[in-house]
Amino acid sequence: MSHRILIIDDEEDIREVAGLSLETVAGWEVFLASSGAEGIARAIEQQPDAILLDVMMPGMDGPATFRELRGNPATARIPVMLLTAKVQSTDQRRFADLGVAAVLFKPFDPLTLSTQIAAVLGWD
Amino acid sequence: MQPLEQNALNQALDVLWARFLPLIEERVHLLESAAAACAANRLSSEDRQAASAAAHKLAGVLGTFGLTEGTVLARELEMLYSGQSAPDPALGARLAAITAQLRSIVQNRK
Repeated sequence: MSHRILIIDDEEDIREVAGLSLETVAGWEVFLASSGAEGIARAIEQQPDAILLDVMMPGMDGPATFRELRGNPATARIPVMLLTAKVQSTDQRRFADLGVAAVLFKPFDPLTLSTQIAAVLGWD
Repeated sequence: MQPLEQNALNQALDVLWARFLPLIEERVHLLESAAAACAANRLSSEDRQAASAAAHKLAGVLGTFGLTEGTVLARELEMLYSGQSAPDPALGARLAAITAQLRSIVQNRK
């Protein structure tokens, strides 16, 4: 089944590789945004099935973007997964405590990223 | 995933690698400059933060392109640059050596 997913990341290389991976391997429809503010606008406009959200972004970071998404009735129910290169367990716990669907890690394997997301979200 | 699809993904990743290589090399260059500045005891707070950010970004992306060792080295650099103060100038040689390894890994990706 095809899904629609929004990737929010300020790093263009990560954004493009993740998008390529989800489109090529899983055949999902992908939307890209390069900042928290742009991501929120895209989420309202496109109503994706899920959002992959980078943690460290200039301006509005991932956790702040997540809170905005949760606080807006138009996006409050969309599952959000954080994507981070932080490996320290204190960071991981802090992110998980926000109430996101999952915390995924960079670097990811482009071959298996969609499987990982599908497993987290219970998608077939 | 069928082998043909995997091949298509690998080819597309190679295209993206070529496209983003200048950006990745720019980050490595920033780390080379930071290592040299550290050895000369003239690494500013801004330089250190920029080096930490560059290392963080490299740690996140290199493994995605199959360069797992590059991610490990970049994480080590991120840790060394992310303290409250500049790394000890005595660490300059170590920083330069790790960065040189990183440069080699990036340049030799097939």
